[in-house]
Amino acid sequence: MLYLRYIYPAVVLAALFLAGWEGYVAVSGASPLILPAPSDVANGLWVERSAIARHATATIGVAAVGFSLSVLFAFAVSVVLHFTLWLRRGMMPLLVASQTVPIVALAPLMVLWFGFGLLPKVLLVILVTFFPMVVSLMAGYASQPRAFRDQLVSMGARRSEVFRRATLPSARGPFFSGLRISATYAIVATIFAEYAGARQGLGIYILTAKNNFRADLVLAAVVVSATLTLALLAAILVVERATGRRYRRATHA
Amino acid sequence: MLEVQGLTIHAGGKALVQDLSLALPDTSLTCLIGPSGCGKSSVVKWLSGVLAPELTATGTARLNGDDIAPPHRDIAYQPQQDTLFPWLTITENASLGLEIRGSRPREARDRVRALFDTFGLHGHEDSFPDQLSGGMRQRAAFLRTIVQDTRVLLLDEPFSALDAVTRLKMQDWLIARLDAEPRTVLMVTHDLYEATQLADRILVMAGGPGRITADIPITTPRAARSEAALAEIRSTLRTMLLEETP
Repeated sequence: MLYLRYIYPAVVLAALFLAGWEGYVAVSGASPLILPAPSDVANGLWVERSAIARHATATIGVAAVGFSLSVLFAFAVSVVLHFTLWLRRGMMPLLVASQTVPIVALAPLMVLWFGFGLLPKVLLVILVTFFPMVVSLMAGYASQPRAFRDQLVSMGARRSEVFRRATLPSARGPFFSGLRISATYAIVATIFAEYAGARQGLGIYILTAKNNFRADLVLAAVVVSATLTLALLAAILVVERATGRRYRRATHA
Repeated sequence: MLEVQGLTIHAGGKALVQDLSLALPDTSLTCLIGPSGCGKSSVVKWLSGVLAPELTATGTARLNGDDIAPPHRDIAYQPQQDTLFPWLTITENASLGLEIRGSRPREARDRVRALFDTFGLHGHEDSFPDQLSGGMRQRAAFLRTIVQDTRVLLLDEPFSALDAVTRLKMQDWLIARLDAEPRTVLMVTHDLYEATQLADRILVMAGGPGRITADIPITTPRAARSEAALAEIRSTLRTMLLEETP
């Protein structure tokens, strides 16, 4: 019930927006080829449900593989950078530079280099999602109070032990923040990769719908994509809540 | 006996501590007192192996005649804040030192749990630090320090974050603990009252650069340390510290 009270303003605003949209289309008589009404989108979603579901499943598969690998890769990179100062100094500017590369330009090249299979799409998802996680992990490691490290070192702890017992737990909160940011990109990045070249997936579905002047189906796929992203965010929230009660306790030191 | 010889600590090009030597006889409680910034905490941190990375030190430390390189397994360090990890229970926090020094987690936790009564923490075995009062957290930190069974305890202003009443109680409690289980203690404090109440001996440090300017034994038994009995020594110390603070 508390949760409902928390989300109802968003629900009310969204309903107002959709009602306004529907009303505008009805009054202005805009062509459904240009601006379909929300009811047209809902109808398209229903009629095309099995095709959309098939394509969405392909998208979910790519996003899941890419995002999971990205999390593992980001964690591994962050650990290596944490323990190797010169590499950290060398890599961080390069990582930042990697984010300035426009994905629009890179996606077709990935297809050119790696074909229409899983690999180019997974690589693109990793490229887009891994940076926020590495940055937030590094920030989390750095947020460890020096006193915690000193306490462990004075007891004779090795660097790896300090990392395991104090540094890593200190980075948990920032890691989940980075994970949420990355998750919002994961589905979008997958769709983009599919857009550049794929046999299945919401990206291809959108492309086909657009070429057939079916704006309603383009928007229907957008609705599905947004829903998938929200579901991913919800799953992350559930994992964070379920696993880390003790890590959300107040720091008093 | 813990000895420090010719300890010089540099911050950049400037000497923070200059050629400092001291010796702590076994089971004595020595207080190191001095104005802020004189380097007393740095001395203790150096002995604990946790000197700030921007500082460099030269000098030797000896424990019972053998040269040692801190951190050392016979020396335990307790900083000013309790530094309990918020995500660990009091039991897990208190057994941390034992685990790092090689005990199996289960044994360490059993050993720590057996001491909860003595440390006034009964019933808080599975509590988290934010559920405890300041005094209790400090006792938990002491439990973590003392259970490591080191011969030497280095305490860096352990009571400074506590309110006045809790601090008095904790001072009495510490003395009782040390009477039961004597250790060699070096305690940094800036509190004259605390130093005269607890110490067998007071080392006075002056700043710019840090050095020891006086070594004052306190021979009055702790039970007989009334305001009157300590008045003279406090007055001497006060004068010394005021002279050294610009």
